[in-house]
Amino acid sequence: MKINSIIGFSIRNPKTVTAALVVCTLLLASLMVKVRVDTDPENMLREDEPVRVFHNQVKEEFDLHDFVVLGVVNEQDPAGIFNVESLTRVHELTEFVRNMHAEDDPDKRVVSRNMIAPGTVDAIEQAGLGQVSFDWLMKSPPTDAEEVERIRQLAMNNPLLKGTLVSEDERAMGIYIPVSEKDFAAEVRLRLLGKIETYDKSNGDQFYITGLPVAEDTFGKEMFVQMAVSAPLAMLAIFLLMLVFFRQVKMIISPMIVAMMSVLCTMGLLIGTGNTLHIMSSMIPIFLMPIAVVDSIHILSEFFDNYRTIGDRRKTLEHVMGHLFMPMLYTSLTSAAGFASLALTPIPPVQAFGIFVAIGIMLAWLFTIVFVPAYIMLLKEESLAGFGVSKTTSGTIHRGLSAFLKWIGAFTYRRAKFILIMTLAVLVAAGYGIGMIRVNDNPVKWFSKDHSIRVADRVLNSHFGGTYEAYLVLDSEIEELDGAGAVDWFGQGLDRLTDEGVDQQVVDRARDVLAGESGAGSTATLLENLRTVWEDEMFAADDAGYESWGDVVNLLDRFSNRAQVFKRPEVLEYLRGLEEHLVENSEVGKSNSVVDVVRKVYQELYEGNEEYYRIPDSIGGVAETLITFQNSHKPEDLWHFVTPDYRKANLWIQLREGDNQVMQEVIDTVDRYFAANPPPVTLNHQWAGLTYLNVAWQDKMVFGMRDAFLGSFVIVFLMMTVLFRSPVWGLLAMVPLSVTIAFIYGLIGFIGKDYDMPVAILSSLTLGLAVDFAIHFLERSRATYRKTGSWKAAVGEMFEEPARAISRNVIVIAVGFTPLLAAPLVPYQTVGIFLASIMAISGFATILILPSLLTVFESSVFRKLKQ
Amino acid sequence: MKKSLLFVAIGLLFLAGALSAGKVEAAPSVEEIVDKANLAAYYAGDDGRSDVRMTITDGQGRTRNREFVILRKDIKDGGEQRFYVYFEKPGDVRKMVFMVHKFIGRDDDRWMYLAKLDLVKRIAASDKRTSFVGSHFFYEDVSGRGVDEDRHELIEETDSHYVVKNTPKLPGEVEFSSYTVWIDKETFLPTKAEYLDKEARPYREVEALETETIQGLPTVTKSQVRDLRSGGDTVSEFKNIKYDIGLEEDIFTERYLRRPPRVVRR
Repeated sequence: MKINSIIGFSIRNPKTVTAALVVCTLLLASLMVKVRVDTDPENMLREDEPVRVFHNQVKEEFDLHDFVVLGVVNEQDPAGIFNVESLTRVHELTEFVRNMHAEDDPDKRVVSRNMIAPGTVDAIEQAGLGQVSFDWLMKSPPTDAEEVERIRQLAMNNPLLKGTLVSEDERAMGIYIPVSEKDFAAEVRLRLLGKIETYDKSNGDQFYITGLPVAEDTFGKEMFVQMAVSAPLAMLAIFLLMLVFFRQVKMIISPMIVAMMSVLCTMGLLIGTGNTLHIMSSMIPIFLMPIAVVDSIHILSEFFDNYRTIGDRRKTLEHVMGHLFMPMLYTSLTSAAGFASLALTPIPPVQAFGIFVAIGIMLAWLFTIVFVPAYIMLLKEESLAGFGVSKTTSGTIHRGLSAFLKWIGAFTYRRAKFILIMTLAVLVAAGYGIGMIRVNDNPVKWFSKDHSIRVADRVLNSHFGGTYEAYLVLDSEIEELDGAGAVDWFGQGLDRLTDEGVDQQVVDRARDVLAGESGAGSTATLLENLRTVWEDEMFAADDAGYESWGDVVNLLDRFSNRAQVFKRPEVLEYLRGLEEHLVENSEVGKSNSVVDVVRKVYQELYEGNEEYYRIPDSIGGVAETLITFQNSHKPEDLWHFVTPDYRKANLWIQLREGDNQVMQEVIDTVDRYFAANPPPVTLNHQWAGLTYLNVAWQDKMVFGMRDAFLGSFVIVFLMMTVLFRSPVWGLLAMVPLSVTIAFIYGLIGFIGKDYDMPVAILSSLTLGLAVDFAIHFLERSRATYRKTGSWKAAVGEMFEEPARAISRNVIVIAVGFTPLLAAPLVPYQTVGIFLASIMAISGFATILILPSLLTVFESSVFRKLKQ
Repeated sequence: MKKSLLFVAIGLLFLAGALSAGKVEAAPSVEEIVDKANLAAYYAGDDGRSDVRMTITDGQGRTRNREFVILRKDIKDGGEQRFYVYFEKPGDVRKMVFMVHKFIGRDDDRWMYLAKLDLVKRIAASDKRTSFVGSHFFYEDVSGRGVDEDRHELIEETDSHYVVKNTPKLPGEVEFSSYTVWIDKETFLPTKAEYLDKEARPYREVEALETETIQGLPTVTKSQVRDLRSGGDTVSEFKNIKYDIGLEEDIFTERYLRRPPRVVRR
């Protein structure tokens, strides 16, 4: 047999095989030095994904950067943050951070020109009778209470700053630090923390740093530590448990080596093929380890059981391997298929994850069948002397387990129908729970509750309008006018001039000219002709006429600028309505737009009179307000809110919560508003910003995962049908994993755990692992049935060694991953909890439901075997 | 004459050389160079007008235009001055006016007239290093930076230029740590200025791109300021430049904000 020739080779040449494997592993592992880390969840979307392309386009068009948010909070001082010492620190920290850049790469830097801090924003203020001034809000730290009070008043009276720069309760000040690259955020945070460390905080100042780029970048950095801690811990736990079951260090070292080699080779391949180490792929070792040891445990289990009776390790091995080869191949193939199906998802990091776990599983299979026999052959024969199962001396755990399994076996036979009814009940409940699943994610919540970033997130969002940003971009559509349309437009324009009090004679003359040119044809010709004639009239006119003709000629400019819709009062009014609606009816803490700029400046032009905190009535009024604003230190700040052609506007939306669900609600609220309140001109709206991107890729993930799962479900079913040469048995093999998945996801729905990235990935793992148990169980059931000829007789035997092997696997892996629960990063905790649950539930499902089904449907399923 | 204004903004205004440098015998002192440059850049003729077209380009290459007429009258050479800036474009801010009374030794008076709102506003002179109508030029580039506000140092003399380094006496008041100006030895027109930020990195450059001699006065007719941080720049082009046209002083009063004088007509 070909199979045995491979195994035979490794049995005959254990040293060569071992050496070859070690060399291979080292070679592949050495590729890991090329590692490139990518912790950017944005990469969950393909680079050419329209949502992402648009996001980047918006960031460029409106000159936006992702913010690190530094909050200084003082709950102790009666004046809150407005005291000399706190403001001095705010100033110091601003100066400290504004020119920061990465040591090795000056392009990774803080974008100082877009910083929002008291020292970097302008305050428009009243400066004596009829005067306005533009001045930095806080050019230098205040020295006395009077200066503090000036800063306080300016900040609190500026709607652009209140809720963003200063909290409404006056207890907190926020410094918004834009970073050129998101992966500079963690370093900015660390350097700031270092600086803050030097402060004496006895005056009550507290410092918090958060923001999505910080969370995402910091997560990436901590993820490494986590990998370095969790994976070995899990290894250790598995090792200890195997020691309890097998009591032979030398033997159980081999599964550990298999797992190690599989992980090293897979990671080496992943990195060597140019893939980045993403949040997803960092989990590969943790997923791979349990799967890698499973096959070895089966071999060891069987070897144990048979070595005593056969006595010769070579013969024992040949017997065991011959017996296990097919189930092992199939369990590996099915697990691999489950993960490989992730390649069908539209999310690149998930694709890489799926493909490389699949490769890892097949590598683990290869290493198991090649290396484990070689390893056993390399052991000295005498060290195996005391080896092998001895039912009387296998310890209390073993005895307890055996007794328990025996009872289960009997129970499934006696109470088969009851178990099946219970299963159905569980399925119904699970279906209900699945309906309650909340699809949600938030990178900040990837940290445990007491992590300083989570704390900062909580504190700062309780003070400010929100540290999560989304951008709502409105794009106007103005129809092109043909010649006749343009003539109409100018006719109306001249009417308006009459209303504005322009000399009627001049308007009438201009109208005559317009009438004369109305046959000009194209718009371009019309404009050119009008300009020639009107300007001639203007230059020929006397002083009074010159001015009136100037107004007429100006119509030409107004015509070409008519697409500047975000100067139109009615459009700005619409935006104002939308923003107010959002703040009142959703989780939006604050919305910043050109409307706020216009209203604030307009008010200051009228001595700060609150009645003028509104939008001017005419385009000209808006335009003059806007040009007044452009006399400040940072006129370009306007272009964060509108494009210079005034055709697109950007609403900078601040959210207090970054949950995808919250973002989704805001999206829906906006859609409903647009549906119920048609804008005065055609406005298209589209979202950008990190908080929105997270929603976008989550949507892709949920549906991608579902499709991938359904796909692999079908594939595994087909494989099972081929393996058992029977669709009925194929279906049987699918039962435990189906129940497990239904149960797990139902539970997630019931307990209200968010369906997020790690949870989504787990469905593939369940498929891969749960089917393993079913294969082993069913394969042995058939073999036993053939021997005994009746299921009743077979049950007893099934709940001896086969059930024990499954139980050992369940316990080893379930318990082995509990160290993950201690991880400070939530996704790792989630994986730990669910890995353990999946193992436990699928193990139970296998040994409870399958025998019950076989009991109830014995006559039909075993019919073929009987013949 | 000692207290005058510096040439910081090479040719935001129609700048002309009032003096010809031909007859300088020995190397002049740095104070002399600075004073002469100030006169050349800001005090050509007794008065003058120019049409200005400003093209503001941002870091993304998007452009915007401003067109205005600028009038200037010197009350005293190297001393008090009046400026009147009348906007024609963009069309929706047409008729907007900026007026400056420049004083030596005290803050300038500045006015702004918004025609559509029919609103006259004084602008406090607290900080002159703010943008001029959204361009990369500063107000201080319009009305000039006081010579006494900086310490001057002649750091190099080339065949064609004096290179003067200027360090602010009150560094807390400005965003630069120093700036260096290249002054043409023939005309005393500043042809280039480079500003260094607090970390001594160049971040802003002003340059005279074209000069012409108009009515015998060397005049910058095209100038550019570049913002090295954002990559944006503003180019000013000067047309229809006329000197010594006999502007009345009362043009530069509040009364004329609402009713622009005939001389702003093209």
